[in-house]
Amino acid sequence: MVDQIVFGIGITALAGALATVAGAAEDTESDIGSQGDPNSQVQLAPQMGYIHRIFNKAIAGEPPAYGLWVALGAGVAWALMAMQVNAVLAIILGSALAVFVQGIYATTAYLGRIASLAKFGQPVYIDIIKSMTTVTMAHAFVAVFTTVTVCYLINVALGHPFPLPLLGLVWGIALGAAGSATGNPFYGKERQYQSQKFGAGVPIAASGNIVRYAEAGERNSLDNGWFSSKLGGPASGVCFGLIVFFELWRTVIFEEIANGWGAVIVGILVILIFAVIDRYIEIWARKTYGPYGKPEEAA
Amino acid sequence: MTVKVEVKEGGMPHNQILATGLIGSLVGIYITYLNNILGTDLLAFFGGIAATLALYWGSHTIKRLASYGIGTGVPSAGMIAFGSGVIGFLFATRFAIGGGILVPIIAVIAAAVIGAVAGVMANTILKMHIPVMVSALIEMSIVGALTLMGLSALVTGSFTFDALVTSRISFFGMELTTYESSLIGGSIIAVLFLLGGIAIQHPFNACLGPSWEQDRMLMLALECGFLSMIPAAVISFAFISMAAATISFVVAIVGWFYTYYRYIELARRDAAFWLDAKPIKEPEAGH
Repeated sequence: MVDQIVFGIGITALAGALATVAGAAEDTESDIGSQGDPNSQVQLAPQMGYIHRIFNKAIAGEPPAYGLWVALGAGVAWALMAMQVNAVLAIILGSALAVFVQGIYATTAYLGRIASLAKFGQPVYIDIIKSMTTVTMAHAFVAVFTTVTVCYLINVALGHPFPLPLLGLVWGIALGAAGSATGNPFYGKERQYQSQKFGAGVPIAASGNIVRYAEAGERNSLDNGWFSSKLGGPASGVCFGLIVFFELWRTVIFEEIANGWGAVIVGILVILIFAVIDRYIEIWARKTYGPYGKPEEAA
Repeated sequence: MTVKVEVKEGGMPHNQILATGLIGSLVGIYITYLNNILGTDLLAFFGGIAATLALYWGSHTIKRLASYGIGTGVPSAGMIAFGSGVIGFLFATRFAIGGGILVPIIAVIAAAVIGAVAGVMANTILKMHIPVMVSALIEMSIVGALTLMGLSALVTGSFTFDALVTSRISFFGMELTTYESSLIGGSIIAVLFLLGGIAIQHPFNACLGPSWEQDRMLMLALECGFLSMIPAAVISFAFISMAAATISFVVAIVGWFYTYYRYIELARRDAAFWLDAKPIKEPEAGH
């Protein structure tokens, strides 16, 4: 009994650590590809006269896109394991195939979007595809491989009843949601709109006026990746890591209490504690850095 | 919401694309049914062709729907297509009359009914009032059902309920039936769901904009279909014979390579400029 819980805690810690790496890689990948919410502004920029050299990759929202990559990695790994392939090799091959699909989607998305902006004179920059697709694919591989491994640990070591592809779907969507919600603000509002004040949003007049020139030369999405890997990526990593850790921790420790209700109650308590912390940080950040402490003055 | 914002002259009429997709997809699925009669699984790859043709049609339906100003809803359109399609598909698989010969037809009818209900609800209860909403959701629901049926036939060689929930494994020389390692028991259907759900919305989502061209988007739809076939063919190695899965894989790779090459050519045709490592080309007026 105690041995089982100690084993469960060990797996929980390992899964949490893997998830942290996954979150960091996921956010950096989507920021280099401009896949998150700032993509609409990158898409809009040429129409407003701002020709740019930023990767414009619209595949889908991050949650469904990562739902596919991770479910695909897990599904192929599942099929290979059913054919008696070693689990580690199966997960690597499954993730590699998923990343191949992701890379193809990235190039077709860039070519399609840019070619459809021909009216505004936005060129297709081939060097952007060559240099950035490979970098997003590398980050996506780290994110997919670690998340499929988390799913495998949940399935095999903790005995979760869902089959691997279904766990891949669920945790892939969770990964995309964590990266989209936590990481993108760093990139979208702070990097893409450095001329705007903190917390000011993007007024209509500034639509499409993204930052196109870097400290030295012209900005491309690798600069965005460099920026967001410093804060946005780790923040997403901590977010997704905590989600996986708390999810497994409450189940492993408290499931025996009150026919499983113990785990549910602890889950609700964790959510409440985090809601209080989040609200406190938000108010503190607005008071300390925000421009609209007294909105009536602006009128 | 009801103003049509994008008008493009020329191109193939929607009804022609609809007919190509619907008839082509049904023919492809019925060819995989010959597997049951001939006692083989070598024709499984026609399921992938069927799914590709259905996606070809579905991408144009999404374009038609999204031209009424719901641009940000393009990926969700893919999800609702497959969400309603999967119900129609699984419902139809339970009709085992004549060894399941009626399953594709019943799936089309069931999916159409579910799509119609969703469309009427969107227009009346949610008050979206989009003229093509009902017909588009009916079409997309059928596309979802046919794509899932085609990909399931590609993976397992069949589309009947028994084939989807059971699989046979060899254990110490004995043939055993298992449920855990079947298409539905192993949740491979979740992978197929997202493969199709992303593939149906990607062509329009990637090609939208003022210089949208129909032939380029439709070529991308075919590319997405063949691309989805590749991982499905790899997964099929666990379900059907080595020879059948290899044929599917080779067909998928060849089809994908050709359509990807053609798509890049079309993108090059439509792009304003095609530059390699050149600086930002500021417009004449300047900013």
